[in-house]
Amino acid sequence: MKMRSKESWRSRCLSILGRMVPYLIVIGALSIVPVFVKSYYIIDLLILCNIYAVFLASWDLLTGYTGQISFGHSLFIGGGAYTAGLLNFYLHLSPLITIPIAGLVAAGFGLGLGIPALRLRGPYLALATFAASGILSVLTSVFWKYTGGEDGLYGISSLTDNIVAKYYLSLALLVICCGALLLIVKSRYGIGLLSIREDEIASMASGINTSKYKIVIFTVSGLFAGVAGAFYCHNQLHVGTEELSLSLSILVVLMSVAGGIGTIIGPIFGGYLLIFLNEWLRFVEDFRMLIYTGAVVMILLFLPRGILPTFILMVRYLIGTRISRSGD
Amino acid sequence: MEDILTVESLSKRFGGLYAVHDLHFSVQAGQIVGIIGPNGAGKTTLFNLLTGFLRPDSGTMLFNGEEIVGKKPHEIVTKGVARSFQVVRPFHQMSVLQNVLVPSLSKKLLKKSLSRASHEANARELLESVGLGEKTGFLAADLSHGDLKRLDLARALATEPDLLLLDEPFSGLAKAEIDVLLPFIEALNNKGLTIIIIEHKLRELMKLVKRVIAFDFGVKIGDGTPEEIANNEAVIKAYLGGGARGFAAI
Amino acid sequence: MKLLAEILVYGAVQSAVYALLALGFCLIFGAAGVVNLAHTAFYMVGAYLIYTFMDLLGLGLYLSLLISVIGVGVIGMIVQQFFIRPLMKSEMSVMMITLAIAYFVQELILSFYGPVDRNVRRFVEAKLTIFGMVDIDSQRMLTLAVAVVLIVLLWLFLNKTKAGKAILAVAQDREGAIFIGINPDRVFLQVIFISALLASIAGAFISPTLGARPHMWEHPLIRCFAVVILGGLGSLEGAILAAIIIGYSEVVVSFAVSSYLGELLAFIIILGVLIKMPSGLMGSKTGT
Repeated sequence: MKMRSKESWRSRCLSILGRMVPYLIVIGALSIVPVFVKSYYIIDLLILCNIYAVFLASWDLLTGYTGQISFGHSLFIGGGAYTAGLLNFYLHLSPLITIPIAGLVAAGFGLGLGIPALRLRGPYLALATFAASGILSVLTSVFWKYTGGEDGLYGISSLTDNIVAKYYLSLALLVICCGALLLIVKSRYGIGLLSIREDEIASMASGINTSKYKIVIFTVSGLFAGVAGAFYCHNQLHVGTEELSLSLSILVVLMSVAGGIGTIIGPIFGGYLLIFLNEWLRFVEDFRMLIYTGAVVMILLFLPRGILPTFILMVRYLIGTRISRSGD
Repeated sequence: MEDILTVESLSKRFGGLYAVHDLHFSVQAGQIVGIIGPNGAGKTTLFNLLTGFLRPDSGTMLFNGEEIVGKKPHEIVTKGVARSFQVVRPFHQMSVLQNVLVPSLSKKLLKKSLSRASHEANARELLESVGLGEKTGFLAADLSHGDLKRLDLARALATEPDLLLLDEPFSGLAKAEIDVLLPFIEALNNKGLTIIIIEHKLRELMKLVKRVIAFDFGVKIGDGTPEEIANNEAVIKAYLGGGARGFAAI
Repeated sequence: MKLLAEILVYGAVQSAVYALLALGFCLIFGAAGVVNLAHTAFYMVGAYLIYTFMDLLGLGLYLSLLISVIGVGVIGMIVQQFFIRPLMKSEMSVMMITLAIAYFVQELILSFYGPVDRNVRRFVEAKLTIFGMVDIDSQRMLTLAVAVVLIVLLWLFLNKTKAGKAILAVAQDREGAIFIGINPDRVFLQVIFISALLASIAGAFISPTLGARPHMWEHPLIRCFAVVILGGLGSLEGAILAAIIIGYSEVVVSFAVSSYLGELLAFIIILGVLIKMPSGLMGSKTGT
């Protein structure tokens, strides 16, 4: 009896480790980037990618996985950024303190939005999220004396002066936040979230307390987006209306959907891809955004599942045909 | 034998019309009861009321002696009532296995503190018993109608109910499929599961149940054995035409 | 007293523009189930096209207007046929792609016209005084007049013509409509043509007042979306009523206090109505 349980425990550990291998490879690769890449420009870009990855993954948890359509993610991002910015600017609190507080404040926004939004679905919910982030945006304009209005606040303290150190911090942000998000969806509760997206009524009929799940997910999504928003603020040394803008909310939506909605990793991948695409297109500066947005439209039209899932499907298909050919 | 379900003075209106009007009936544990009535008679509304998806305007519903009016659907599931849907509601983009694993997140099943592997093994066993054992990896969106009906049933059973409400389980099924499903439902009842079935396929239903409640315009118009109901004037009048005649011939 | 009259008149103009936009948006949702977030992009293109033809190319007013609005109608049909139709199964996908298209159109305009606001020549040069009290330029009054006429024409079209009734039929029950021989795809194209037409007319007529700006589609989108949802998705009368409510409340607050608070009020109204009455003021009940 004891022998059997030891074996099954070992085999379970091995299978978990096995499934983690692709993630470990990617994290490993990202960790040694600064050894090979010396250009600060690219490192800066990668820091941005890591931060955006958390924006996108937290959005995907809410919309892609649980089906709660959010067109107002900047509420959490900007909420977190402004909290950190204000705390740092006026109270001179260090990022070590502002970032967690910002996360909690954004989580609070998530809770505050999630509860009234329980009865809303589809376009109604989308509009509510628009309106909620719009309200925060207008409030920052109304209290421009404190928030710096259109220009925002400058002179926010940096996390650290060394750019390579900043890179590793952003990588830690990525691993911790996205890791947590992945743990959530891969836990037994993951299918509960999916069931809410697929058919909320059938989910309720299966014994799921969908209201509780939705509120929790809104809060968690807000938490991580807020933390990343605060991190962004300390990275840019500035917080402004862009962090609360409709444009940012929509960018988050489009990047995630292009990457592969409902997979957590898809949006991260989409973020990396599109940020680099955006930079690469700078050589046609005048038409850069045009090509960029055009590419997004094409992706949405032809790869409705998103880039990453389609890519994986292609790879599986190619491997599959090769195996079947050699197997026979 | 105690009553597992007691409904008293239950009423529900939509606008000016009563979908269910002053309804009284009880079901004993272990019974298998059929509910019949023309379309729009209020049958599915009754199921929606019993499972917490609709709130009655008046009346009480007691399950195992406990009042369930005002309880949320997931709470009622945890108490032990499960349902299937008239029009199937699968989780389309999830696999068959995942569909049946969702109920393992209900409070009742979480309390059992089983590992995910155990839940999965139970789910596979259940799917095997309904005939979907080969298709556990299939996406629900790719299943045929007959398989979807089986999936709906399996998912309801996965909640480990004491009372199962089946809403037109035979609709859209071929005779061969019904011939497999019927004994399965019977076996479930023999093992002690109380079952209430809404059905239009009267011939099949009468083979299965020993008691039939008939509805029309939200009102109970008959409650008895299949033979009694078949000869009930009010019931025959409600079902005008050939259906009623064939019905009376049973 | 003068203030009241000013509010009355300016509010009417604001409501008229919102109503024009909302009706088109509502029509597409009602008939095709499509939430077209590129709707106000059509409005913007209408403004830029009239600028191009009338001010840049020097074509006369009537010709420019004709080409502009028909042009946008055609663009709408192209968007529907090639970008929306393939994704119509999923509401979310349609919202995403129309949003992306709106962004694309914005960038298209930025690439060709640059970020600077463009001034469009007024269609009529005259200053009017309404009720002997309110000074308002004739362009705004023209916009109001045109909007009212169009709304009436739309009502007549939908209720009195065969094509219009077909649209209403599809909006009520798509399958039933197919049953009686109506081609839903053709109806969708007609609906988006009308909808884009209305949006571009609104854009063209308001452009001398507001200017043609590359971001002019953002602000009205939320309003238009809100008006339609407040009025009850799919209800045309509701959309008009809601347009009047939102239009007037914005103007009232802007006049009385500040335009920022006007924005805030609009958002609060939206959230308030959504939370209390998810089916809007007159829309059909969205059951469990």
